[in-house]
Amino acid sequence: MSSDTPETIVIGILALQGAFAEHQTILSRLKLPSHPLTSLLVRTPQDLAQCSALIIPGGESTTIASVAARTGMLDLLKEFCQNVDKPVWGTCAGCILLAKEATGLKKGGQELFGGMGVGVKRNGYGTQLESFEVMLDVPALRDPERPFAGVFIRAPIIEHVNESAPTSISIHTEIVARVPPSCLPAELHDAAETSNKDYTVVAMRQGKKFVTTFHPELTKDDRLHEYFIKRCVLGLVAQK
Amino acid sequence: MGTFGVKSGLAQMLKGGVIMDVVTAEQARIAEEAGACAVMALERVPADIRAQGGVARMSDPKMIKDIQAAVTIPVMAKVRIGHFVEAQILQAIGIDYIDESEVLTPADEQHHINKHAFKVPFVCGCRDLGEALRRISEGAAMIRTKGEAGTGNVVEAVRHMRQVMSDIKRASAMAEEELYAFAKELGAPFHLLKETARLKRLPCVNFAAGGIATPADAALMMQLGCDGVFVGSGIFHSGDPVKRARAIVQAVTHYNNPKILAEISSDLGEAMVGLTIDNNLKGGQYAGRGW
Repeated sequence: MSSDTPETIVIGILALQGAFAEHQTILSRLKLPSHPLTSLLVRTPQDLAQCSALIIPGGESTTIASVAARTGMLDLLKEFCQNVDKPVWGTCAGCILLAKEATGLKKGGQELFGGMGVGVKRNGYGTQLESFEVMLDVPALRDPERPFAGVFIRAPIIEHVNESAPTSISIHTEIVARVPPSCLPAELHDAAETSNKDYTVVAMRQGKKFVTTFHPELTKDDRLHEYFIKRCVLGLVAQK
Repeated sequence: MGTFGVKSGLAQMLKGGVIMDVVTAEQARIAEEAGACAVMALERVPADIRAQGGVARMSDPKMIKDIQAAVTIPVMAKVRIGHFVEAQILQAIGIDYIDESEVLTPADEQHHINKHAFKVPFVCGCRDLGEALRRISEGAAMIRTKGEAGTGNVVEAVRHMRQVMSDIKRASAMAEEELYAFAKELGAPFHLLKETARLKRLPCVNFAAGGIATPADAALMMQLGCDGVFVGSGIFHSGDPVKRARAIVQAVTHYNNPKILAEISSDLGEAMVGLTIDNNLKGGQYAGRGW
C-alpha cells in the first residue's frame, strides 16, 4: 500500500434510537476531494471501535442513554466523547448527551456522555406544541448568505457555556448560530433582558466537539454536515 | 409552530423506539426507566377494553396530566375516530401526539378528524397503503399498522405490515398511467401515491402495533420494515413488566442481531395470554374500524 493513499474517514452514527438513518442519507451525498468518506451505524462496542468520528442523532436522550448502558456502550461512549481528539457532533438529544450538565431530566436523572462544556435544559421550549421552524443565519457555512432551515422539536436550550471545560486545556469556543430572541419562551426572553443571560445559542463548536439543538438531519441541506467534517474531523481553520 | 415539518419530525425522533401503553403515572415511570421513547396514556389497555366491553372513550384529562407530570418523554393519548372535540381537549392540555384510534369506540362511521386543523400531530392506524394515504391526506403525520390490539397475537400486525410493504413495492414498479388506476383501486389520493412510489416508502414514519407481546415479535416487525413499535397490553399484562419492557426496547435496537435477541429473550417470565383472532373474538376485530 502506498503511503500517500489518504485514510478513509469513517463517520459513526450512534444508532441505538432516533433519526440515525436521516444523518446517513445526508452523509452518503457528501464527497470530499481529499479523503474517501464512509458512514457506519453504531450499535455495539465493535462498531464504535472502527469510527474516526461520531454523530449522536436526535431521538429521546433517556432511551439512547438506557439502551447504551444495557448494551455495554456507556463507558465507551463517555470515553470517546470526553477525548478532546475525537470529533463528535450531537443534534438535539445528541446535544443533551454530549453536554457536561443538564437540567429538566427525568426523575432520578440520566447518564450523559459529556465532552462539551455546556449546561443544557431538556425540552427547553416546552411540549410539542412549542416546536417550531425558523430560518437561521449561519455565517460559517458555504454560501453564508443562504439561511439554514432550523427545525426545533422539543428542543433543549443551552443555558450556559464553560469555555475551558471539560478538560484543563482551554479550547476555543465558536458560536455557530443563534435563534432570534423572539423564538425563546417568554420567561427566558424576559430573564435574558434583565440578567444579561444568553439563551439564544443553538449551534456551537468547542474544538472537535459540535452541538446543534435543532435537526439538520430533517432537511435536505448538507452544509452543516460539511461544516462538521471540515472543522471538526479534518480540522481545517475558517477561511477568512 | 404546528408545521407539517415539526409534526412529522417528532415522529422521526421516535424511530427505533418503543411506545408503551400506560394507565397510571407509576406505569409511565416504569416505561420511561425501561427506555420507552414515548408513552400512550389511556384508562384501560386494549386487553381490558376487550374483556370489559362497553363504549371506550378518551381518558380523563386529569389522569393524562398526572402522567405528563411524571415523565419527560413525549406523552400521547387516544381519541375516538372522528371525535374532533376529544382532540381539541387533548390539544388544550398540551399533549405531544394524538392517536385517532380504532381501539376506542368510533364516534363517526364516515369521517375521520380533519387533522390539518390542529397544531398537535396525529398518528393513525392502517391495514393497507390506501388507508395509510387517506389518513396522511387528512393530516396524519405518523402511521401505524393496526394489527389486532389486546390479543397478544402478532398475526394481524404481520398481515397489515406485509400488505403495506407489498402495495408500496407494486406502486414503485408502476408507470404513471398505472399509478392513476392503482390510486383508484386503493382509494388513495394520487399525489400521495406518486410520492410514495418515488420514495419507495411511506412519506412519513410507520410504526407497527396490535398484538406485539415478545422481544421476538418486536424484532420481527422491525425486520419486516417498520420504523418502531407500539406495545399495548403486552407489557403490563405480562408476568414481569419491568424486565419485558426493557427487553422489548433492546430488541427494537438490536432487531437484526439474533445473538443479542437470544440473550434478551431469556428468563422474562410469562408473556400475556394470547387470543385466537376469529369471529368469536371477544370485543370483535378492531382493525375493521376506519374508513
